[in-house]
Amino acid sequence: MTTDLLDQELTELQLWMSALLRRRTSLEKDPLTTREAAAKIGQNPRLSPVEQVEIYREQFWLRHSGSLLEDFPGLSGILGQEDWDQLIQGYLEAVVPTSYTLRDLGEQLPNFIESCGWLPHQALCRDMARLEWAYTDLFDAPDCGELDANKLAGIPPEAWSEAQLVMNPALKLLQVEYPVAALRRNLREAGEDESVPIPEPQPEQLVLYRGTDRGLYYRNVSRGAFALLSAANAGFSVVAAAEQAISEVPEEPIFASLGAWFREWGTLQWIIDVKI
Amino acid sequence: MPFKESVGVPDLGVGVGLRVPHYREILERQPKIDFFELISENFMGAGGKPRYHLERILESYPVILHGVSLSIGGPTEPDRAYLVKLKELVRKVKPAWVSDHFCWCGAGGAHLHDLLPLPYTEASIRRVARRAAMLQDFLEVPFALENTSSYLTYTASGLTEWQFVSEVVERANIGLMFDVNNVYVSAFNHGFDALEFVRNVPHERIVQIHLAGHTQLENYIIDTHRGQVIDEVLDLYRETIRLSGPVSTLIEWDDEIPTLDILLAEAERARTVRNQGLAERAGKAAPIPAHTPTPAHLEVQSGPWRQGGPRESAGQDL
Repeated sequence: MTTDLLDQELTELQLWMSALLRRRTSLEKDPLTTREAAAKIGQNPRLSPVEQVEIYREQFWLRHSGSLLEDFPGLSGILGQEDWDQLIQGYLEAVVPTSYTLRDLGEQLPNFIESCGWLPHQALCRDMARLEWAYTDLFDAPDCGELDANKLAGIPPEAWSEAQLVMNPALKLLQVEYPVAALRRNLREAGEDESVPIPEPQPEQLVLYRGTDRGLYYRNVSRGAFALLSAANAGFSVVAAAEQAISEVPEEPIFASLGAWFREWGTLQWIIDVKI
Repeated sequence: MPFKESVGVPDLGVGVGLRVPHYREILERQPKIDFFELISENFMGAGGKPRYHLERILESYPVILHGVSLSIGGPTEPDRAYLVKLKELVRKVKPAWVSDHFCWCGAGGAHLHDLLPLPYTEASIRRVARRAAMLQDFLEVPFALENTSSYLTYTASGLTEWQFVSEVVERANIGLMFDVNNVYVSAFNHGFDALEFVRNVPHERIVQIHLAGHTQLENYIIDTHRGQVIDEVLDLYRETIRLSGPVSTLIEWDDEIPTLDILLAEAERARTVRNQGLAERAGKAAPIPAHTPTPAHLEVQSGPWRQGGPRESAGQDL
């Protein structure tokens, strides 16, 4: 064995290279990097040292931007190629990927969009990014059992005042300013040359969930139902959640709707159990 | 006792990498396939479609786990949360072995999702061997590391890649996942003799062999796992089998993924070469002359190369 590295020197070499691979522009144009590479990277008759590193740098950008494109088809559809590229390059420069899986790469994208004042349709983009990240999170969320109708029927009436709904872990509640769920569907279904109109603002309360077929779905529910689901999801008892919803949306007949809502939510497996 | 015997690594035959476009057909048709290899990270989520598909596959086929994110040679110890998830997956799948790569994946807190080459030095050997031995104890299954394709070398490297690989697997007492296509790719890119690599690794430690296609560019080859395994790689494979005996072999095809039938035909092509190698080993056949290298057909690299092909994701759902 010849000139060996110390463990610390190995680490320094890796820190140097790791920083280079996240650079946005070609390394070959940077004289300092070219000099440093010549000292650290071996000679090759076909590729200079800096060209060898550049292969990995290009792949970093292709791989990560490709992964985000897969997970945010609605957002990229709104923006078009040029703005999408600018957004994603800025994101990958600002937010260091730290997770072992590319699945987590877009987690900070909704927040990052908040800082992108230059972005056309910024509020719509933020809503779409929140929706698409929520879908990614739901996609492999834990599985769960079904609501047991017999257990439900056996709960004594007096117990309901303290009962808590157990919500499906593969369910998310999302309040948006734009009808992004329908827009996403339209963008995905549109042909390559077909343009999809940008919608006007229209607040929606979305329940995003994984169906029994493991597909991802959404429903737009009333403000009262959304308030009740939100309170139940936060751990309120059924009665406290209903009272919370009534205080938030007094104009909606919430108590009168409870029976129908619970039946539907049980069928859809939004509710998977009731804790007494 | 040789490593494979001591830890009970079986020969599973010839398998293929399980890839998203084939899920439905495999579950419906239940074709005869010796075994599947899964990319571990694609099945570490708690539930949903990936876990559903995994459970259906496990009902009918032996499954091996192959990771791409361990970063065993990185500056920091492997991520604890990642290891816990991997062990949970190992308990579910009960693979005959688990593998990852001789590489690092990032530094300074960044995970770059690439298989970055290590300098072949004593410092790298110490770091990787210590962690590999610990990991094998932690996972409680035989563990193997794979030689990667690489596109750069370091001035600090004082060893050949095969010396480095051999030293790590011996010190850590782990298995070698031997990727014959990676040997070919790196040999071309760095100008060494691929046969010398094949002949100088510890054959008794090879627990599995990978075969794949690649992409020839003007100045270098990329390990894209695209297309058929070329004849020159199959020659190296035959020699590996002659030296190592029967070893589980897997076709990786991750880019421009073909129909399942084409993939299975490629596995049968590998099986034929494997049988030739075993016949040569048993002295029942004369060595088959190696193919004369054909002029490279140059391609254009247009996108990212990604181990394991596309992951199953929410983006595929409307």
